[in-house]
Amino acid sequence: MNRSQPARLLRSLLAAALWWIASPAQAQVVLHLYNWNNYIPVETVHRFEAHCRCKLQQDYYSDNEEMLAKLAAGAKGYDVIVPTGNAVQTLVRQQALRPLDKQRLPHIANVRREYMDLPFDPGNRYSVPYAYSITLIGYNEEKMRDLGLPTDTWALIFEPRWLEKLRGKITVLDSQRELMAAALKYLGYPVNESGEAKLRQARDLILRAKPYWSAFNASSYIKELTVGNIWVAHGYSNDMFQAQQDARSAGRRFTIGYSIPMEGAVLAVDSMVLHRTGRRPDLAHQFIDFMLDGRNSADLTNLIGSGNPNADATQYIRPEIFGNKAIFPDVATLARLEMLQDYDRRTRRLVNRMWTEIKVR
Amino acid sequence: MADAMKRNTSSRLTKWLVAGPPLVFLTLFFLLPALIMVVASVRYPGEFGALAPLFPTRPGEEAGLTLENYGVFFSDWIYADIFAKSFGVAALTTLLCLAMSYPLALLIARSPRRHRDLLVLLVILPFASNFLVRVYAWMIILGPLDLLFSRFAVIVGMVYVHLPFMILPLYTNLEKHDPVLLDAAQDLGANGWNRFWRVTFPLSLPGILSGSALVFIPVLGMFAIPEILGGKDDWLVGNMIKESFLGTRDWPFGSMLSIMLTAGVLAIAGIAAWAARRVTVHA
Repeated sequence: MNRSQPARLLRSLLAAALWWIASPAQAQVVLHLYNWNNYIPVETVHRFEAHCRCKLQQDYYSDNEEMLAKLAAGAKGYDVIVPTGNAVQTLVRQQALRPLDKQRLPHIANVRREYMDLPFDPGNRYSVPYAYSITLIGYNEEKMRDLGLPTDTWALIFEPRWLEKLRGKITVLDSQRELMAAALKYLGYPVNESGEAKLRQARDLILRAKPYWSAFNASSYIKELTVGNIWVAHGYSNDMFQAQQDARSAGRRFTIGYSIPMEGAVLAVDSMVLHRTGRRPDLAHQFIDFMLDGRNSADLTNLIGSGNPNADATQYIRPEIFGNKAIFPDVATLARLEMLQDYDRRTRRLVNRMWTEIKVR
Repeated sequence: MADAMKRNTSSRLTKWLVAGPPLVFLTLFFLLPALIMVVASVRYPGEFGALAPLFPTRPGEEAGLTLENYGVFFSDWIYADIFAKSFGVAALTTLLCLAMSYPLALLIARSPRRHRDLLVLLVILPFASNFLVRVYAWMIILGPLDLLFSRFAVIVGMVYVHLPFMILPLYTNLEKHDPVLLDAAQDLGANGWNRFWRVTFPLSLPGILSGSALVFIPVLGMFAIPEILGGKDDWLVGNMIKESFLGTRDWPFGSMLSIMLTAGVLAIAGIAAWAARRVTVHA
């Protein structure tokens, strides 16, 4: 999302200025990490810096496309990046990544088998899972109970029968792939369906439900749920976790719940990869192995409620998070989750045309 | 004579020194990117975003130049529809800004000289905080009123953000008016309304035009405000361009949309300039 671009620009300028001032003085070893906003706890950063006796320099993105666009525009020098599966695939096909040296990653054995060897990188040649999130439905529990609405199905955001009671109190993600995926799932199709007829069905389903929605929203649904302006939001599990925490700490009289629709949903696995232009592959491997350590991996989950693919982390994760079925789904639910894959350019154009229609009609 | 020549060379040098840097700047950061955009708009999208190569690297690959992107634009009502909507929003924002700014600018221009600087400072003051912070503040104001995520919210945000761009040129213009003219009009029997309508207003037209341009053009390309405050129907051209580049990684299509937007803006600027010339001739 471009919401914070000026702020980010200012921050980068400031960082550049500081770097300029500080650089002659420091001959320090630096590892460059290009990461999602708020995707590693500060304590973990400090621990790693003490461990490697180097500095961990972070740059942030809030969208895979933003990261790919920046790399496509020629950004260089990032050692480690944490893209989502489909973006890993894009980077691999662009030959932008360096293969991993598994010898230097002894902790890779900690990753659960179901999260290894994923379709976007068979054999994990280039990537190791870092954390995951699930695109699901977050809701105001009390309102749902009062209105007698189901919370375990995409019908909640697509069926006029239920939407009647939610008019103007519901937001969906401002992302063509995510919203189409939800519609496709509800219709019983795979999330990467590329047949025009089926995509059109999904578009029609969205257009039928749109009059009831309040907005297409990419990030402020967290706040809107917490404040109580919105009762249902289509969004990411990490965000719903935050909304839940915020509502609790603000002492709201309602609670935010979230669950994975029974039809299945999108699973987004973020993986650590080495960029080809990185100057310190040695430190990069050290960082990846450090983050594969159960304790370090668990810290992130405890902070932001991200899904954790690390088996060794389980013992350190707060039990109320580990027990949450929407973050750690059971095997049957996991089997119904799918990862997004990149469309080819023709399909991209087709879906973009439908998206424009969805936005305008 | 040698002296004159030297003076001539040095004045020419001065002219270049003054005009050179902005010229270089505009060439580098406006003309060149605009040309790149034109070229990008007649190419095919690359497999991973960016552009497809100019020459095919494997058989059957789409490469080279094409007018397909423009074809898509003109073969579908939907894009023209968004353009029309965006121009409508920009026009409405400009009108509202004008209606709100004129009295204020007049008030500042006619207040005692020692107060003017302070009043102008107050107009500029909002710039001290970040634009996005101010737009987010509107979320907090409009949310509880049930007005958030609507066309109304978008217009409110647009007007709020662009108001100073209308006030300042108006004020600069109005401040220069000679009060003697109004006295003369009064002496000739003009009442308050006539003094405004037949003296002040015509003289302020250049200010109105430059203020309107400063509001209208940025509003046309704005995508942040509709994205933050807008509802499900408030997609404007800016959003569509952003989505093409980031959402679909379809650079040629996004470039084509940008070119069409620039063409639209230039057309309007042309009409405005023509109107301004006629107005000045009449005055």
